[in-house]
Amino acid sequence: MSTDGYRGHYTFAMDFGTSDFKFGPITCGDTPRVVNNRGYFPDKNSVVYRAFEATSDIIVGEDVPLYLQSSEDLSSRLIYPMRNGVIDKGDQNAWRVVHALSEFGLRSFKPDPNNGFQGYYVVASLSSVSPRYMYEQLMEIFRNSNSNGSIRAVTVIPQPFAVAIGHGVTTCVVIESGHGNSQVCPISKYPIRTAQVALNRGGGDANAITSEILKDAGYADLANEEALVRRVKESIGLVPADLEQSIQEAKRTPRKFRARYKVPGTRIEVDLEKDSWARFLIGEYVFNPNHEIFQSYFGRGMPRPKDVKMGDTVFRGMLDFGDAIVASVERCPVELQPMLYREILLSGGNFSWTAPERLEGSAVDAPTKIKLLLRDKGIRNVSVKMTKAPQFSVWHGCIIYGFAVPDDYGWDWQRLEGWMKLSG
Amino acid sequence: MGAQSADPLPNSPPGLSLIIGQERVHVAVLKSDSLAQPNRIVDVILGLCTLRGSVSQIYLAASKLLGTAIDANIFSAHGIGLLLFDDRRIEEAVPAQATRLEREVAAVQGSDPAIVSELQALKSMYYEMERTISRLREDLYSLRNTNPPTSLPRENSRVIEPQRLYTEPATELPSFFVNNPWLEVLSRRGREENGPLAG
Repeated sequence: MSTDGYRGHYTFAMDFGTSDFKFGPITCGDTPRVVNNRGYFPDKNSVVYRAFEATSDIIVGEDVPLYLQSSEDLSSRLIYPMRNGVIDKGDQNAWRVVHALSEFGLRSFKPDPNNGFQGYYVVASLSSVSPRYMYEQLMEIFRNSNSNGSIRAVTVIPQPFAVAIGHGVTTCVVIESGHGNSQVCPISKYPIRTAQVALNRGGGDANAITSEILKDAGYADLANEEALVRRVKESIGLVPADLEQSIQEAKRTPRKFRARYKVPGTRIEVDLEKDSWARFLIGEYVFNPNHEIFQSYFGRGMPRPKDVKMGDTVFRGMLDFGDAIVASVERCPVELQPMLYREILLSGGNFSWTAPERLEGSAVDAPTKIKLLLRDKGIRNVSVKMTKAPQFSVWHGCIIYGFAVPDDYGWDWQRLEGWMKLSG
Repeated sequence: MGAQSADPLPNSPPGLSLIIGQERVHVAVLKSDSLAQPNRIVDVILGLCTLRGSVSQIYLAASKLLGTAIDANIFSAHGIGLLLFDDRRIEEAVPAQATRLEREVAAVQGSDPAIVSELQALKSMYYEMERTISRLREDLYSLRNTNPPTSLPRENSRVIEPQRLYTEPATELPSFFVNNPWLEVLSRRGREENGPLAG
């Protein structure tokens, strides 16, 4: 394989995550720059805005907190464009934020023009469920951002594909789970798009069940604060090996499983005491919401995850992860299926569950839970791992893609791969 | 352009005197230790009010604690802006209303039409110069980055140029490149005999 000295310097990757925008050229090494994937539309009549030298209509990057005004402003002025992975075609503000972030990213790494720089090879990544119009609009954004020749060529790849590349596995199933949704994506040198399965369930749903548990335990006032609920979830939530057995064990020895969380810097402490068995509901709900124990929560008004259509994709609400993986793999050629089961990669913050050593046997981590769910479906011989460097694996994959794919592999709207040349 | 610092007006309360565009703004700053002294607060606010004829907008900037002690509507009733700050941010709790600049109005009314006309001409020339400088800046930048006019020999040399400057591969690739099979797989994109396996 021939190496490309130019791209050893001028490959650039952009990962538009649900919360963070990770970006930078190959020369960043292992760690890209990270800013929030959001933009702020300031009130131009405000004297604070006019006093600073801001000429932009949108503020992105590290400066956003400097411009935030009262909390009432946030809902309309502070936009997180990729919260659900998909941007509505007509959501102009969200697209403007994406445009501003792209330009901010490129501006942050302006090479010396005397060094022979003729534009970056830019690789951006989007959610695997992004419809075609998102690719079209993103390409248009890069075209419009290229007035000074900073982009030589651009391409867009799906995030799970980038994860597989970054992890160094050419045949695998990548399962991405974030705040709003999850996707199961088989990869075999290419993304197998026809076999993807999407779930309308993510970390936000774990927050919802945590909120209900807090209300039941007498913490109704805390249950409405989203940031606090998330911290409680991360602190006390557990994934059970078997829900019924784990609950029984927790009820038998409540002290061993006691769930306590003290809010830092305050006197507020959450203590589930004899109801600490409920911490297993939090983890179970993410992986399998079908247990009858959750019916009472639905009956009391907790929203049941529904099947929804976003873009071209149907997101299943109540499908458990085991069924989702089986459904996805069984859409692939039979010869490929065993190889796919042997390499299952978990990516995304919603898989960051820990199993404390003293609770071994009752509480498990995410890879173990997936193995158990597949075992229940009759699938053995599986290997499930977390991605190494989960925060940056997409960006890593984009950099490798941008470095290695030949310059003359042109963009094709059928396969949604290849280089779109913008200059040179 | 952002705010420009201006010389404080005589007898103005301590703070910031700014020029923003065409407007003059005075921000009186009330320090945290003054909040316990009601007379000090009144003194600063009254001092602000005396500036009404000289500036476009007047603001009081104080710690967020003040916001809990005083009804902000009082400020808006008198056209005084209120900025509340803490360690992390500044918030415009009450926007200021524009004041009547009596002196400026009198100056305009009593001025020589010839001088006004000359001022306007100078203003137009200034904006024209700004536009020209901006255009020159863009031209210079694109000259630095634009490829030479195309013809076959030049295109070849343009293709060769990056290689001439970068005949050596990057000396240190990131750690995630090590033993990564995708480098080989991706380098064959478009050169494989078969198409994608599926999808």
